[in-house]
Amino acid sequence: MNWLHALLIVLVLVAVPLFAISRKLGWNYLRVTALLCISTVMLLPFVWLVCAAFKDRTVMNEFTFVPPIKTWVGDHVRQEVDGNVTFRPARDFAVPPKPDDIIPGTMNVNNFRKLFEVQQTAQGTVTFWRYIVNSLFLTCTGTVVSLFFCSLGGYTLAKYRFRGRSVLLTFMLASLMVPGVVFMIPNWEIIWRLGWMDSYKGLLIPGAVSVFGMFLFRQAMLDIPTDLIEAGRIDGCGEFRIYFSLVMPLVRPMIGAFCLLSFLGAWNSFIGPQMYLQTQAKLTLPVVLNQYIGVYSQQYGIFLAGTLLAIIPPAILFFALQREFISGLQSGALKQ
Amino acid sequence: MSLTTPQGPAIASVKEINRAGDILKPRGGPNNSYRGPRWAPYIFLSPYFLLTALFFIYPLISAAVLAFYQTNGPSYRKYVGLENFRFILGDPDFHTAILNTLVFACGSVFIQLPLSLALAMMLNARSDRFKSLFRLAIFAPNLVGSVFVGILFMMLFTPRYGLFNQFLQTLVGWGLEQRWLADPSLVMPAIIICTLWMYVGFNMIYFLAALQNVDANLVEAAKIDGAGPASIFWNVTRPAITPVATFVVVTSTIGSFNLYELPFTLLQGSGPNNSGLFAVTYLYNYFNSQDLGTAAAVGWVLAGMIFAVSLIQIFLSGTTRRDR
Amino acid sequence: MQFPYGNAALTLLVVSVLTGLGIGIVDVRKATRLDKPDIVFATFAKDHLPAYIPAIEKFEKENHCKVQLQYVDQPTVKGRLQAAMQVGAEVPDMVEILDGTMGTFTSGPLENVGFVDLTEKIKENGLADKLVKSRFGKWSSRGHLYALPHDVHPVMLAYRRDVCEQLGIDVSKLTTWDEFVRVGRQVTKDSDGDGVYDRYMIDLPADGGDALRLLMLQRGARLFDDKGNVCFDDELTAKTVCWYVRQTSGKSKISFPAGWGQNFAKTMQDATCLFFICPDWRTKQIQADVSAVKGKMALMPLPAWEPGGIRTSTWGGTGLAFPKQGKNFDLAWKLAMYLYYDPEQLGPRFLDNYILPPLTSAWTQPQFNEPDPFYSNQRRGMEYIKLAPQVPDEPAHTYAQTALGKLSEAYQNVVLHYEKNGDDGLEEFALAELKRCAERVRVMVDRNVFLRTDDRTSKGAAK
Repeated sequence: MNWLHALLIVLVLVAVPLFAISRKLGWNYLRVTALLCISTVMLLPFVWLVCAAFKDRTVMNEFTFVPPIKTWVGDHVRQEVDGNVTFRPARDFAVPPKPDDIIPGTMNVNNFRKLFEVQQTAQGTVTFWRYIVNSLFLTCTGTVVSLFFCSLGGYTLAKYRFRGRSVLLTFMLASLMVPGVVFMIPNWEIIWRLGWMDSYKGLLIPGAVSVFGMFLFRQAMLDIPTDLIEAGRIDGCGEFRIYFSLVMPLVRPMIGAFCLLSFLGAWNSFIGPQMYLQTQAKLTLPVVLNQYIGVYSQQYGIFLAGTLLAIIPPAILFFALQREFISGLQSGALKQ
Repeated sequence: MSLTTPQGPAIASVKEINRAGDILKPRGGPNNSYRGPRWAPYIFLSPYFLLTALFFIYPLISAAVLAFYQTNGPSYRKYVGLENFRFILGDPDFHTAILNTLVFACGSVFIQLPLSLALAMMLNARSDRFKSLFRLAIFAPNLVGSVFVGILFMMLFTPRYGLFNQFLQTLVGWGLEQRWLADPSLVMPAIIICTLWMYVGFNMIYFLAALQNVDANLVEAAKIDGAGPASIFWNVTRPAITPVATFVVVTSTIGSFNLYELPFTLLQGSGPNNSGLFAVTYLYNYFNSQDLGTAAAVGWVLAGMIFAVSLIQIFLSGTTRRDR
Repeated sequence: MQFPYGNAALTLLVVSVLTGLGIGIVDVRKATRLDKPDIVFATFAKDHLPAYIPAIEKFEKENHCKVQLQYVDQPTVKGRLQAAMQVGAEVPDMVEILDGTMGTFTSGPLENVGFVDLTEKIKENGLADKLVKSRFGKWSSRGHLYALPHDVHPVMLAYRRDVCEQLGIDVSKLTTWDEFVRVGRQVTKDSDGDGVYDRYMIDLPADGGDALRLLMLQRGARLFDDKGNVCFDDELTAKTVCWYVRQTSGKSKISFPAGWGQNFAKTMQDATCLFFICPDWRTKQIQADVSAVKGKMALMPLPAWEPGGIRTSTWGGTGLAFPKQGKNFDLAWKLAMYLYYDPEQLGPRFLDNYILPPLTSAWTQPQFNEPDPFYSNQRRGMEYIKLAPQVPDEPAHTYAQTALGKLSEAYQNVVLHYEKNGDDGLEEFALAELKRCAERVRVMVDRNVFLRTDDRTSKGAAK
């Protein structure tokens, strides 16, 4: 019996009078409570992550989430009395403690400070900002480029009838089933032969068209009435113009959904940049942060601080696109 | 997003597989396709043709050839015929890898998907103002890349000090000292828990979208007829979400076959006693030891298995459509 | 006016253009300043950098050349280098590689090994006699040396001196593992009665990985014999595995897996474990990560398996290899000699990286004889130097990683057997398990056509 059990029992007990009032109310209460509990569990690792990123390395494992508030700021000295760890303000000592013993407050931004420290590398100095910019550039450019090619391909597959279409579609489906690792070494060789090693070309160009993206758009565009396109043609629009200014604005929710999916995939992609990029100043966030978990030294605090920062851009995008994302997925992709 | 992204959004890609039946017959009647100029479709698809030829067909052919050789890097090779296939099919480690992959796939299908559906139904029950907040909370893990998740969970699963171990100890009084990542019998549960956290929100979103297809009038009518919630679920909701459900099942199965980054970072290898050895990890190990031939052979065997699973799926989706 | 494709797409487009411009401008400005280096030197060890950067700057001035130092993490060094050597791409002129990876680079016929053969080179300049002999095996294949050893890495035990004194443990009596276990059984206990042990004698990982291997090495049980045949299914290995299992599982265990990083630090700080397996490189980690135990730690040699037996083992290592495709071997070799085997530098560097260099003549430098207040004023350098001559040889093998994995598999199964049946038939079971696993490794070794034909004619395999 502990606080968690007590809390759970209380939560269940509250339901009893509510059920007495009305069954509907009772069920509704249970539903929201269950959702609340599940959401809490889902978010707990994030809470832990935030706490850990700000914890001083000396107390990383000391406390599950945060140390006592009174130890957060000011210089402290850690002491062990009968196996219990305590923190005393550094000023409480008659003789000033040795500098080695002092911790600068148990909660601080040292991890972030270290993360943003100027790094000496072979190719000059690099700061963490550079990696953020690299990641943003690769992700955004990749998304925009593949948005263009995928929607164009999807439009073609949805709205044109041409020789070999069904063969092509079957081929595309089959191509989705081949595990990606099969291509790893051959692709590496091709990229190298093309001279795209250590360049963003090697990451952007092979990913410019994805079968998945084309199908997503095809599915959304199947529902666009062909009459509309014919009408556009009679008005004198060129083939490209029809796609660009007539069809695309109609599938705007799908654009949102695609952007989010593509952004998430590219932002977190690890193997590609890891294999193709070499210059330190060109690397992306996942690769750089993974370097902090090395063979001989693991700097978890810095890694977690970086992870926290790396979550922010996709989080903003998801917040902004939540509604479009859901309706995009509904708008055809999943409608039968 | 590249052609070769093994995970993440690519998982969604396979939704189309169960639709192959659809694709082969023109959809929406004969008038729904547009006959434009002859050149347009080929021009519009030319980037795809070009990139596929370069980054799909050529590597595929070279991998197909490699499977019959033993190699030491691309420069040294010796023809061995079917030896590579014979070896992997008889290799207990490969059996372990396939078995683990299947167990994991079952874990995803029978634990994760029902949970996702339940969550979606709970969220869908009434439109309240917290809906989008709950949705965000449950979807949030998808914002974290699997490289980060691997290392994050490595820390959460630490005996004694890990958040998960402490949580479990508080909740059920057990598990403080469990070595989730070092005990062969706990590695699989640990990975399932980790992927549960990662993907339950994503699948929930699919189900949420599917639930929009449920006809509200039909539900009301059933209620007036005195049908219970179970009967409404079975007779009204189930048929409406079956297509999406079948799709999500295949998606998860194929996603399981492509599981790679997570065990790679979470276990830093294949786990104790190969308890965390998955099909793709097995393949990657051969890449790593310069034995590209064996790796290519594994790739082909895997591709065959995935293909078989997908064919079964296409068949199943055909039957469900006839149901309706 | 509204963007017709949604604000998200617009935002991404704007960000893409802005960041692209930013990167472009910065790189163009940088590119005008950068000239091509004469030597590219890649390393995976971040800890080596602080010492290398100033040394390389000096070397550049003396030799009027430009050296590019690349830091890449370990899987990447291996993955990239392997891929680059395979397709003949640009490679670094010199590269530091991690212990255990040499085997994969030498899995083919000898002439296809991507590194320069250094065997004759070190005989010529006398290095072969100046370095600790047992360190060459790690970097050799079939009698040919492909990398220079960076370190010796003897293993000791680091222990909580303060707690041991409190408990009345006399570490000088812990000369054999039998004695160590006997004391360990008394120390390991649950003092608050909650059913969980609160103190353990030693930190041993529960996966049967590195620690088991180094204990086997100390006992003379190896994965492969001198001819490269799999041999870990002998009685000695079985005995060692059983011993390890008894210490890590079941009721009478004396160990707790402290893991790495923060967890390791916490275990040490709380004295949850008293003894920690500690190669030279770990002494620095402890000092950096666990500042709270300053002055409370001390080092002792490993207990021996038999009275009078060897008191150390080895764990890890770095080697410096020269890819064949490198352009400037002579200059790279000069830099290697300067960085690795210049006694004047090695002394001060020991203060920085705590790693014992294999060059025996460097050990007389005063820095190796300095007392270290962190380790209760022991002369840390001398403690390791005393053990260095005993460090066992551990030859590289292409299938070393495979064998380790299989050893670990056997170990895990023995653990299961032990937890179910206790000591009943444990050694027989262990032996059978090891035989089964070793047999698998033999199958893998035998199917490598390149190693197989190598004895007869190495050219026959090549096409």
